[in-house]
Amino acid sequence: MEDKNNIALSVRDLKTFFYTNNRCNKAVNGVSFDVEKGKTLCIVGESGCGKSVTAATIMQLLPTLSRIEEGEIKFQKDDKIINIEKLEKNGKEMRQIRGSDIAMIFQDPMTALNPVYTVGFQISENLKYHTNLNKKEIREKCISLLNDMGIPLPEKRVDEYPHSYSGGMRQRAMIAMAMACNPKILIADEPTTALDVTIQAQIFELMDKLKKENDTAIILITHDMGVVAELADNVAVMYMGNIVEAGTADDVLRRPTHPYTKALLESVPVLGRGKNQDINPIKGSTPDPYNRPIGCQFAPRCNWQTESCDVMPEITQINETHQVRCHKYEQFFEKYK
Amino acid sequence: MTTYIIQRLFIFFPMLLVISFLVYSGLELSPGDAVSHMISPELASTITAEQLDAMREAYGLNQSFLTRYWIWLTSMVQGDMGYSMAGGVAISEIMVKTVPATLELSMVALFFSTILGCSLGVISALKRGSGTDNSLTVAGMAGVSIPEFFFGLVAILLFAIELKWLPVGGRLLPHYETLWDRIPNIVLPSLVLALMMTAGAMRYARSSMLDVLAREFITTARSKGMPEWRVNILHGFRVALTPVVVLIGFRLPLLIGGSTIIEQVYQWPGIGSMFIRSVRASDYPLVMTISLMYVFVVLTASLIIDVLTALIDPRVRLGKE
Repeated sequence: MEDKNNIALSVRDLKTFFYTNNRCNKAVNGVSFDVEKGKTLCIVGESGCGKSVTAATIMQLLPTLSRIEEGEIKFQKDDKIINIEKLEKNGKEMRQIRGSDIAMIFQDPMTALNPVYTVGFQISENLKYHTNLNKKEIREKCISLLNDMGIPLPEKRVDEYPHSYSGGMRQRAMIAMAMACNPKILIADEPTTALDVTIQAQIFELMDKLKKENDTAIILITHDMGVVAELADNVAVMYMGNIVEAGTADDVLRRPTHPYTKALLESVPVLGRGKNQDINPIKGSTPDPYNRPIGCQFAPRCNWQTESCDVMPEITQINETHQVRCHKYEQFFEKYK
Repeated sequence: MTTYIIQRLFIFFPMLLVISFLVYSGLELSPGDAVSHMISPELASTITAEQLDAMREAYGLNQSFLTRYWIWLTSMVQGDMGYSMAGGVAISEIMVKTVPATLELSMVALFFSTILGCSLGVISALKRGSGTDNSLTVAGMAGVSIPEFFFGLVAILLFAIELKWLPVGGRLLPHYETLWDRIPNIVLPSLVLALMMTAGAMRYARSSMLDVLAREFITTARSKGMPEWRVNILHGFRVALTPVVVLIGFRLPLLIGGSTIIEQVYQWPGIGSMFIRSVRASDYPLVMTISLMYVFVVLTASLIIDVLTALIDPRVRLGKE
């Protein structure tokens, strides 16, 4: 973990705030994590916990009413370290990183592709701006990318419009687009939420293959614990703009130390346990972001809440890889060991 | 695409036929006929019923409605537009005089309003919430809601009467026939017409553009690291264009029909003012020719719109393969 050369992206104490109607929503409120080369980091959490905003912040694709308030995003480009948060939002340097070094795939492939251009054209744009290939080479590259993604008849499909692609094929085309310039980091923002389960498996298989072949680091944003169990090397659990627990997949899934992680895991039904199994949904709902609880953000919904939770807990390092943000983690850890 | 156009042409002519019949029936139902408008009021008291009937017979107006329609239709198909009943002038001659005047006025207005409307709309959308956007919005709302004739009259009052920069109306002064002489006359009516049309196109382009800019594929385009102009114009405006093209397409009939109101206000000798005169005079052949021409242009325009939208948006391409 401390081996600096292994880390593709390092985020430190990142804060991204949204300003609407003179109110401030601290969507991302002090997040730190590292993304290792060739590893998958899963960011998990409920809707509105700031996972997507974190992704958008790394790409500097935030909407106009939001901005990076504090913190560092250090990206290792070749031998240099670039501070992404210091770059101009749509400036030249940022644009050079976007799409070429860090690429992103989006939640809904139905709306993420432009309906009036051919798939080939949309992939070629990426190559046009980040490589020196000529027209013919670009076209060949597009076809080979589509072929790699398992799209049948790529020579023909390259000239077709997104509306003649199925949902799964569109997401493959999106991945082809994102992978066009062999990015060092691929950010996937709930890439399979809009697809059915069989397609979901295929897409993840594809992403896993790409990760192994190209040594791409993947930041996978999801709320599906099953996906996490299958794909993640590292996991970060987010709640209300904070990472509450982080560690290797083994750490977090097998020895959850934060009541929220535990609650998330317990609220998922397990296939094969029959219909009488206990599912414990988390009580209550996420607090209003404009009217946050003081101290630990999860306290109002937590069974372990005590007076000490009125103070925001600091991050505690349990072992080399595993960290948690909870006052009661020791007792909790004991009970559920 | 070709099949699609051919399909459309098949409905085209039956539609023309039906509409021409409807217009003819409408004229038949309106009170009075051409003869009653030909007689000056001073003569009306002295003229006898027999004389009127004789006149009707001479013009063929005593025949049945269907026979007259048939005669009109067959000669129209042969390219004979007939004569104006009011002045006895060949309608083709009237057309030759009025069509260029209308085309001149509306083409200038359509051209400038389209370019200006689209670009202002896009600027307004891109700078949403800024001072530029707000003032363009206010101007646009004013342009859409103030009636043309009022705007036209105010412009005459200001530029022609108070400041005396431009002529009050009309198209050509006698013996002034070079292009340079025509320009002062066309400035006011085309400007008024263009401004009204710009306002509409701008509002349309703005809202369509805002809608598109909020879509996810814009973020995708940006995530590829392309410069902002390419994201906004190539990915944004291209998609936003479809509804704007439809709006502008439906204005194409203006090219031939003319803006009746503006032509009246500025005494522009175009089809619009001619149409009003002919309806007042129950001048059947003239009304029929003008309305048929109008219908023809509307149908052609909608065909053009369909083809254009299909070209812009591949999802619209129907009847392919």
